Amino acid sequence: MLVNVPGPWSPLLGRLALSEIPYTNPILAPLFIVIVLAGIVLIAGVTYYGKWGYLWKEWFTTVDHKKLGIMYIILGLIMLFRGFIDGLMMRTQQALGDGPGDNGMKVMGAIHGYLAPFHFGQIYSAHGLIMILLAATPLLVGLMNIIVPLQIGARDMAYPYLNALGLWITTAAVFLIMISLFVGDFSHNGWFGYAPIFELAYSPGVGVDYWIWTLELVALGTTLGSINFLATVVKMRAPGMTWGRLPVFTWTAVSANIIALTSFPCLQVALALVGADRYLGTHFFTAGFGGNLMLYTNLFWLWGHPEVYFVILPAFGMLSEVIPAFSEKPIFGYITMVLASFAIAGVSWIVWLHHFFTMGMGPYVSTEFSIATMLVGIPTGVKVFNWAFTLYRGRLTFSAAMLWSIGALFLLLIGGLTGMMLAIPAINYMVHNSVFVVAHFHMMLLCIVYAVFSAIIFWFPKIYGFKLNEAWGKIMFWLFSAGTFLVFFPMFMLGFMGETRRLDWPFNPQWGPWFDVQEIGIFVYILSVLAFLWMLYVSIRDRHANRVHTADAWGTSRSLEWLTDTPVPFYNFAMVPHINALDEVAWRREHGFMDKKPDHFKAIHMPNNTPIALYIGALTFLVGFGLTWRVWWLTLASLILAVILMIYRSNKGDPGYIIPAEKMEEMDRESKARMLSDDSHQVPHGGGFSGGTVTAYTALDRDASGSLTPPNDSRHL
Amino acid sequence: MPFHKFIRRGKFVLTPALILPLAGCAKGSPWWIFDPKGVGAHASFIYMMIDVGVMLAIVGATALAIVWFMWKYRKGSNRGAYDGKWAHSNTLEVAFWGIPIIAVGFLAWAVSVNGSFAVNPYNPTAITKHLKPNGDPIDIDVIATDWQWLFIYPQYHHIAIANKLVIPAHTPVFFRLTSTAVTTDFFVPQLVGMIDVMPGMRTKDALMSDHLGTYQGIAADYCGAGMSWMLFKTHVVRKTDFDRWTQMMESNPDTMDYQQFNRFAEPYINVHDKTPAWGHVEPGLFDHVMLEVMNGKKWPLPMFMTENMFHYLKIQAAEHRA
Repeated sequence: MLVNVPGPWSPLLGRLALSEIPYTNPILAPLFIVIVLAGIVLIAGVTYYGKWGYLWKEWFTTVDHKKLGIMYIILGLIMLFRGFIDGLMMRTQQALGDGPGDNGMKVMGAIHGYLAPFHFGQIYSAHGLIMILLAATPLLVGLMNIIVPLQIGARDMAYPYLNALGLWITTAAVFLIMISLFVGDFSHNGWFGYAPIFELAYSPGVGVDYWIWTLELVALGTTLGSINFLATVVKMRAPGMTWGRLPVFTWTAVSANIIALTSFPCLQVALALVGADRYLGTHFFTAGFGGNLMLYTNLFWLWGHPEVYFVILPAFGMLSEVIPAFSEKPIFGYITMVLASFAIAGVSWIVWLHHFFTMGMGPYVSTEFSIATMLVGIPTGVKVFNWAFTLYRGRLTFSAAMLWSIGALFLLLIGGLTGMMLAIPAINYMVHNSVFVVAHFHMMLLCIVYAVFSAIIFWFPKIYGFKLNEAWGKIMFWLFSAGTFLVFFPMFMLGFMGETRRLDWPFNPQWGPWFDVQEIGIFVYILSVLAFLWMLYVSIRDRHANRVHTADAWGTSRSLEWLTDTPVPFYNFAMVPHINALDEVAWRREHGFMDKKPDHFKAIHMPNNTPIALYIGALTFLVGFGLTWRVWWLTLASLILAVILMIYRSNKGDPGYIIPAEKMEEMDRESKARMLSDDSHQVPHGGGFSGGTVTAYTALDRDASGSLTPPNDSRHL
Repeated sequence: MPFHKFIRRGKFVLTPALILPLAGCAKGSPWWIFDPKGVGAHASFIYMMIDVGVMLAIVGATALAIVWFMWKYRKGSNRGAYDGKWAHSNTLEVAFWGIPIIAVGFLAWAVSVNGSFAVNPYNPTAITKHLKPNGDPIDIDVIATDWQWLFIYPQYHHIAIANKLVIPAHTPVFFRLTSTAVTTDFFVPQLVGMIDVMPGMRTKDALMSDHLGTYQGIAADYCGAGMSWMLFKTHVVRKTDFDRWTQMMESNPDTMDYQQFNRFAEPYINVHDKTPAWGHVEPGLFDHVMLEVMNGKKWPLPMFMTENMFHYLKIQAAEHRA
C-alpha cells in the first residue's frame, strides 16, 4: 500500500542516511557547530547553577497561563529571529545574484549569488511558514494566554492542562522545522505549498514531509488553544463582566479563536490528503488519474485566509488597549469596534478565492470574491477611524508602546490601500505573483509585529513588575521603522517594475539598485534586533529603578488586568473582583476605589502541575520525525505511547488543590508588600510564586531568602 | 568576486530614489506595470489608477488626520481641549461606516465588475469588442514544461518555437495554455496579466498590442528550481515581418512528434537562453499532452537536482542539451 520512495530505505532508519546531513555545506555545518556549542554552554550553565529543578517545577510542568504565555512569547521571538535570518539570506541572494552573467559562488554551487535554487527554495518556504505560524501565531497566542484570563477576572484558563499541551505541541513543531536545517532538507514549494509540485514525483526529498508534519502539529496545537480560549471567555468571566463590558482585546481574542477553531481543521484535512498522496499513492491532488490540484489550493486558502484574520484580529485588539491607555480616553466607538471585529471574522470566510484570481475562474466568480474582499475594507476602515478618533480630544503620551501602536496604524493604512488594489481582479492580474503582493502582506504582518512589540512593552510591567527601558524601546522603534521603509518601499517599486516572487536569480539588472537599498534596510533591521537585546539587558540591569509599585503600571490603564498586584501573583486575583463598568480600572480610578481591599477571603481552587503535556509534546515530535523519514516503528511507538498517556491522564483527571482563605489572606498581604517594597527578591517570574506545587493543607515555610517555598509532598501527576 | 561587486555597487545606493522615477520617461522603461504596451495591460493600468485615486483620498485624509491629532493633542502641548469621556458620536460613526461603504460600492461597480469583464483572460472585452469583422486573430498553443515554454502556431503549418514568442502588432492573439508537470503562470508584464498554466488542464488568455518592441515574458508562479530561467522574450512585429518569419519557420526541417516532445519536456534549466524552433510539430500535440497528463504521465525530477548548479550544468552538457 505504501508508495516506493526514490533513494534508499531501511526498516530501522527509514530514509535517514549520513548523506542527508549537510556536513559539507559551508553555512549549515558551522551553524550546527555553533548551535551545539551554545547548547552545551546552556546545559552546563543550568547544571552549574542547579536550576534544573527550578526549570522543571516552574516552567516545564507548569499549567499557569502566564508562564505558558511567556514561553509562547519566547518561542515566538526566537522563531521571529530565525525567520528574520531567512529574510536576510533571501535579500542577500537577490542583491548578489541580480543581473546577467556568472556572478555566483562556486563553493556554494550557485551560478548566481550564493544560493543554488535547491537552497533558496527551502529558505523562502521556511521563512513564510515560520513567520506566520511559528512566530506571529505563538506571539499572539502567548499574549492572549497571559492577558485574556486577567482581563476577564479568571484564575487560569478553562483547561490549564490543554493549554500546556498546546504549547508543547507547538514547540514540537518548532523543533521539527529547526531540525530540518541539519537533517535532510525542507520543502521548496512556498509556505502554502503548490499543487502538484509537492507530489512525490516533483518533490522526491523529505522536505515536503517536514512541511506537512510541522504544519499539522502547529495546527493541532492552535486548535487546542482556541477551544480553551473560547471556553475560558464564555464560562470564566468574573461576576459583573457582562459581554458588553468585555475589553476589546478579549473580544478580538474571541473572534480570532472562533476563526481558528473552525478553520484549522480545514488545513489539517488538506494536509492529511497531501500526506495520503505522498505516502499511500492516492490521487487527491495529482494532475492525472482524476486528481484535482485546484482542490488543494481551495482547501488551503479556505483555511489560509481566515488564518490571516486569526493573526490580525488580536493585533487590532492590542492596538485597542494601548491607544486608549496613552490617550487617557476610552476607545472611540466600543460597540462598532466589536461589531467590526466580528464583521472581519465573518467576511474572512468568503474571500479565499482572491489568493488565486489567476486560475481563470471567470469574471462572475472573480467579481463576487473581489467584492467580498473589498467588504473587509469596510470594518477595517471603521477600526482605523475609531483609533484615529480615540486620539482626538485625548492627552497623548508618546511612550514606546504608543509609538509602536501608531506605527502599526500607518502600516495598516498602506496595507489597506494596497489590499484594495489586490482585491480587484483587473489589477490583481498584473501584480498577483509579484513582489508587490509580498510587500503588501508584509505591511499587514508587520502591523502585527508592531502591535506585538507595543503589547510586550505595555504589559511587561504587569507580568515582571518592572518597566522596559523607554529610550531603547523608542530607539528600536525608529530603527525597525527605518528598516521597514528601506526594505519594503523598494519592494513595492520592484512590484511595479514587474519582478515576480521567489526568483533565485532576479534576471533584470535594472532591479539591482533597489535590491541594494533593501540590503541596507536589512542591516538597519539587524541594528534594531541589537537594540531590542540591549533594551532587555538595560531593563533587567535597572530593574530596581524601574520597579512598578502600583497595580496600574502606566497610571492611565483601563481594563481589569491592571487591578491586581504587580507582578501578577500565580492566583491572579486574591478575591475575584466584581465588575461594575466597561473599563473597570478607569471606573475604579475615577471613583476612588483603586485601593479598596477585599474585606474577606475565600478558599480558592487551583490546578496541579503536570509533565504529561511535555511528554505528549515530545512524543508528537517523534511522530512527526518518524513520519517524515518513514521510520514506521518510531512513528507507531510514539503514537501509541502518546495515546496511552492521554488515556492515563483522562482517567486520572486533576482534582487540583485548595488554598484556604487564611492562606490567601497571608499570600495577598505578602504580594502587596512585595509590590510596595523597593528591594524585591530576584527578578519576578510568572506569578512570582511557585504555581501549582502548593497543596491545600500544608503550611508554607519561608526560606532564608524570604521567598515562599513549596512543600515537598506536592505531586506532579 | 560577488562581494567585491556588492561593495562596488554600494555607491549607487543613495541615488536610485532620484534616478529611477526619471528613468520611467526614458525609452525601455523599467516600470513595466506603469508602461503598458498591450490592450489588456493598459486597461488594468487604468483601473489601477482609478482604484488608487479613490483609496488614496481616504487613506491620505486618515493619515493626515492622525498626524494632526498627534500634533494637536500631545500631552502638555495644550493645543487641544481634553475630554476624557468623549467616546461616541452617532454622526461620526455613521460617517465611519458610510465612507467605506460608499467607496467600496463605487469601486465594486467601477473597477471590480467592469474590470473583471474587460480583462477576463478567456474573453477580454477590451480586445474582443474591437475585433474587426474581417480581422484574423492568431491562435497560439502554449505548453509549459519543467522549465521551458513551447509556443505552437497551429494556423501556420504547426510551426513551433521554444522560449520565444513572436506575434504581429494590431492583431488579437488567443492562447490555449497547458503544462506538463506542475503549475506555473504565463505573464508578460507590459502586455498581458497573469494566467495560471496547469497540468492536465487548459486555460486561455488573449493579448493584443499596438506597440512594436520586445517585451519580457516570465514564468510568474513558482514551478521548481528552474523557474528563474524560464523566461521568454515576446517580440511584437509588423504583420509583414510576422508573415516573413512564419515562412522562414515553415522551411525549418526540424519536426517534433509526441515522442520527441516527451524528451523535450524532461527537466531542463534554460540557463543559456536557447530558443530551439521546429518547422512542424505533430498536429494536436497540445491535446495529446493534456490527455497523457490526465492519464497519469509524469516527468519526475531527480533528487537534489539543483543543489549544485555547476554539477547540474555538467550533466546538461553531457546530455548535449546545454
